[in-house]
Amino acid sequence: MRFTRRTFGLSAGATLVTMHRAALAQGTAKVRVGVLRLASSGNVFIAQDHGYFRDAGLDVELKFFDAAQPIAVATASGDVDVGVTAFTGGLFNLAGKGAVSIVAGQSRDVAGFPLMAYLATAQPSGASLKSMRDIEGKSVGITQVGSSFHYSAGLIAEKYKFALSDVKFVPLQSMSNVASALKGGRVEAAILPATAAQPLIDSGDARLLGWGGDEAPWQLGAVFVSQKMKANPDLIERFLTAYRRGCKDYHDILLASVKDGVAALTPETQPLLDAIAHNTNQPVDKIRVGLAFIDPNGALDVQGVAHQLAWFQEHGFVDKGFGLDKIVDPRFVKVP
Amino acid sequence: MSEADVARLAPVRFRGRGFVLRPRWYGSLAAFVIIVALWQAAGSYGWVSPLFLPSPLAIVRALVALTLSGELVGHIAASAMRIGVGWVLGTAAGLAVGLAMGLWGLARSIGISVVSALFPIPKIALLPLLILWLGIGEPSKIATIALGVFFPTTIATYSGVDSVPRTLIRMAQSFDLPFAGIVRKIVIPAALPSILSGFRISASIALLLVVSAEMIGADRGIGAFVLQAGNLMQTDQLLAGVVVLSIFGLIVARLIGVLEARLLAWR
Repeated sequence: MRFTRRTFGLSAGATLVTMHRAALAQGTAKVRVGVLRLASSGNVFIAQDHGYFRDAGLDVELKFFDAAQPIAVATASGDVDVGVTAFTGGLFNLAGKGAVSIVAGQSRDVAGFPLMAYLATAQPSGASLKSMRDIEGKSVGITQVGSSFHYSAGLIAEKYKFALSDVKFVPLQSMSNVASALKGGRVEAAILPATAAQPLIDSGDARLLGWGGDEAPWQLGAVFVSQKMKANPDLIERFLTAYRRGCKDYHDILLASVKDGVAALTPETQPLLDAIAHNTNQPVDKIRVGLAFIDPNGALDVQGVAHQLAWFQEHGFVDKGFGLDKIVDPRFVKVP
Repeated sequence: MSEADVARLAPVRFRGRGFVLRPRWYGSLAAFVIIVALWQAAGSYGWVSPLFLPSPLAIVRALVALTLSGELVGHIAASAMRIGVGWVLGTAAGLAVGLAMGLWGLARSIGISVVSALFPIPKIALLPLLILWLGIGEPSKIATIALGVFFPTTIATYSGVDSVPRTLIRMAQSFDLPFAGIVRKIVIPAALPSILSGFRISASIALLLVVSAEMIGADRGIGAFVLQAGNLMQTDQLLAGVVVLSIFGLIVARLIGVLEARLLAWR
């Protein structure tokens, strides 16, 4: 081949392309992560904005969803590679069919960290409710049957030994519908996440009965991967390493600074709060209030999840015939 | 007369048959069987994952389990009540308003603008308001269906009345038939075909809306069941509920067919 300027250019271009491909193959791998635009996904936002994923050689793209259930579906269908969100009946069903596998834990509902608010309506019909225990025999607004709110109420019923069937659950599909029904006194009580509950409490439309985590703590969120991602354990390990760095920052710096439910504004916490504020499109002052608990190692309360699975199966929300071993990948999970 | 002329005079075959469609009952059955067989094969041979498309057998199994546990009857009874009451209320109101719009100029000018303004509002967007106004009991669910049925019925009735041949009305007027008689003996029978085809559409809309109506605080009903199965990703149960809705649709279409045969026998 005669070496002219043109052939030189071509071969140089070709070399560049092959080099770039090689770099992609062994260097940065692309991972799409499905998360909620909520402060409870804070550890993921920190890992992303502070470059922890990049350090692990990952090119992470965050995909935002407005409910937990669609994230599980998107992970099963392969539209995202990793999902970080709350357990739902749908997630258990998809995991039971082998479409997704759980590899780590996320937020936990624990005492002292507000997450699940039990509310009574300020209308006369809610006057008889004094504590969370009093939901027995009352109408309680929730988003969906088989949601995390439903399970939380199941734990309260277990603790106070009343039948869950004595609570009249009213599924209203969206949080705004639940808030609307509670305001109008159409339900006597409701269970809502802290972020949706606070405005109702502040405006006097609802009365706080208590926080679910204070009465019955449980594992709320998890990290799960698609089938395609599962075939690449090295990739999962790299992802989780960066993810846990985010968890550690969130727990050791942010949560450690919390006093009276508000995180302190210090040179250490500021960049973390900024990362969360930037990804949730919310002001820092709003983020500081009521941060959810996240384990510093991204650990998963395996026994708690087993209990959750059994509860969903017992109530017919999840198909029977599979256990925890089918849905949790023991190669990656750390126990608290 | 030449031979060619004789040939021309020979009786001509009757050609003006029109396009008479004779239903072939085996056609729909065969299509149905082939589709279901292909679907089952796709599941059995693993062409598609059972998660994304449960096989017909899995759906039948889910249906049988639901029937045996008695759940299905409860769901169907709750939905049938909501659909029935909602449809009757919406249809009655739609007929009255549509008739008024067809007969009086003032009602028409008011009606057309109001219907055009309100028809395109998605009823689901109004759910939080409906909860506040009517609560989370039966009234809000029935109202959702009645609202959805009302508008198509109004439009079908109004356009049916509008297309009654003017000559018939003029003739009745020249025979000095009173107004009520004209409406009862000419306008309504002539508008009936349009009204009945409106019923076909509104009945399907009622079935469609039962799912949205049961979004608000329903623990029983086919719509609530389908929603719950969807939320929990129990795809076989989801499709079992959808099959029940389709059967509902077939029954309703059959009923309206009978109604058409009865009421339009004069044609």
